[in-house]
Amino acid sequence: MREEVDLTAVRPYADHLGDGLVQMSFTLPVPYSLAARKAAMELAGAMGFEEPEVVHYEELTAGYTYFVMYVKCVQTVDFAALQGEGFDIEYMSEDEIERFAARSLGRKIVVVGASTGSDTHSVGIDAMLNLKGYHGHHGLEGYQAFETHNLGSQVPNSVLLSKAIEVNADVILVSQTVTQQNLHVHNLTELVEMVEAEGRRSGLILACGGPRVSNELAKELGYDAGFSKGTYPHHLATFIVRELAARESGDRVPAAG
Amino acid sequence: MTSDAAGQATLAELTAGSSRVALVGLAKNTGKTVALAALLAELAEQDVCVGVTSVGRDGERHDVIDFRIDKPPVLLAAGSLVATTGPLLKDSGLDHEVLLRTGVRTPLGEVLLARLREAGAVEVAGPSAAADVRAVADAMLDRGAGQVLIDGAIDRRAASSPAVADGLVMSTGAVLSRDIDEVVDKTADAVALVRLAGLDSGRREGQEVRERRSAQPPGTSVVLDDELAAHPLPARFVLTAEPAAVAERLRSGPRPRWVSVSGALPETFLEGLIPFVRRARSPLKVLVSDPTRVFLTRHGAGFYETAGIELVVCRPIELLALTVNPVAPQSHEFDSARLRGMLAERIGGVPIFDVMHPSYANAPPAMAKRGAGHALPGEPHRA
Repeated sequence: MREEVDLTAVRPYADHLGDGLVQMSFTLPVPYSLAARKAAMELAGAMGFEEPEVVHYEELTAGYTYFVMYVKCVQTVDFAALQGEGFDIEYMSEDEIERFAARSLGRKIVVVGASTGSDTHSVGIDAMLNLKGYHGHHGLEGYQAFETHNLGSQVPNSVLLSKAIEVNADVILVSQTVTQQNLHVHNLTELVEMVEAEGRRSGLILACGGPRVSNELAKELGYDAGFSKGTYPHHLATFIVRELAARESGDRVPAAG
Repeated sequence: MTSDAAGQATLAELTAGSSRVALVGLAKNTGKTVALAALLAELAEQDVCVGVTSVGRDGERHDVIDFRIDKPPVLLAAGSLVATTGPLLKDSGLDHEVLLRTGVRTPLGEVLLARLREAGAVEVAGPSAAADVRAVADAMLDRGAGQVLIDGAIDRRAASSPAVADGLVMSTGAVLSRDIDEVVDKTADAVALVRLAGLDSGRREGQEVRERRSAQPPGTSVVLDDELAAHPLPARFVLTAEPAAVAERLRSGPRPRWVSVSGALPETFLEGLIPFVRRARSPLKVLVSDPTRVFLTRHGAGFYETAGIELVVCRPIELLALTVNPVAPQSHEFDSARLRGMLAERIGGVPIFDVMHPSYANAPPAMAKRGAGHALPGEPHRA
């Protein structure tokens, strides 16, 4: 029988539950040598790991050494406290999404997407919207349930919004590379503010995606959802069909009164 | 009013006349949450029952983009009303009563309206959409809140619309630029934008313009000529027209006197008006619902006024106070008095203060260390 996991104190697992074993790899800008190996051990200790072990190290190029280490993590994290409604979503498969959409919406869901502002990357938006998709999951264009409009990259917010109004979109999807320096945050908030200014906020689902986008950031930016690395088109599609169905069934109680 | 004179009043006094107060920052880390915390402490002292909501997320321990920046907690008194999500309410560990499930979904869960049975810190994440914010604010007023505080997020302004809030507290700070003059310029532009003149309904022209505007089908922008006859613009023209198309449109009809914009007014459209106004040598007034509909990034409202384009709003925003954070976390800082002085010279008619500075009438001792709110713990940011 499987051993019971204490979710209030979890730590990494390798051979047996709670052993805390971690494999890590990194490079130090020092020549390949015994001193380099010792430096890696000391560094692992300074990181708070116990029982550090260098299982592999090699010269990457002159003056640089690459390490693979096994170390033991003695810290735990309270997973139980992190679980809660709203954070998790069970994803549907493509077939399930098609059936769900046909049953609960019975029409095409119109999605307009772009990389806005000065962002030249269209990889994220292409992966989500285009038929080709990625990793064998095709994008929303390949679904019966969706009608997609991919406007590409460097699209001004006003143009994206205008297109959404023109085609009577249900969803606006934007892709942005958010940097630590906040460079693109203004672009993301401006779109939300323009949608508000046009009086269209309640009729549109706003979703944003990008390498640093989390649900927490999406909330601050004013979006309905945020998607980051590891998102497949069917993740996005699941969110869209569920949210639309909830909105159309009137599951949105006005707060006043 | 000078910044020293402003030091005599408190945020609580300045906002007392507004049932719904919006707090909006010009960027992240302009000290908006610190201003909220100061206001909350003052209201708690006066036993005012407050309701708090946030269009973003407030009271989180670390900045969402730069994890190195610690954020101030949002401390609420027992009996306060708060709009936040179920998980965050649970995480607070505070005894509370759920008054209403709003049905408003956010990326962090459904927004609940709760009354706290004990004092403590809560992470606040209310509705994001302006209409939902207004509904939640009204629900809190209905349930006994004497005043509702609506905290903004990042640089979002929609919650300061007169359709949502009755008054605005704006926050600015060193984070806008390393150059103090640029901080002053950008702040002055932002203040000029929120204080755009209201349509003068007392005069005949103002009243007629208002009538013409409200006679249009929803979502229709129009040009009003010298006789105030209305000429509708094509759908979405204001959003997308390139400058050449704007000029062509204005030249083709009778001489325009007003442009009434139904929704968002992007800067590209205003730029398109400039050559026409210069050539025609007659000023043009551009009317929008309220200042949150105007999107300027390259120039301030003053630039367009000089060019002969006057921006006018149907409903003005009441700016109650301007708070200043002279510290840019992880970067630089200015002398608080100097920055406030320079701002006061450029911006009249609004109290300006730094709630963390001893000059502020009610600088709470618990918040005397700015390091706790703005920078790494223990990092000496102030002499």
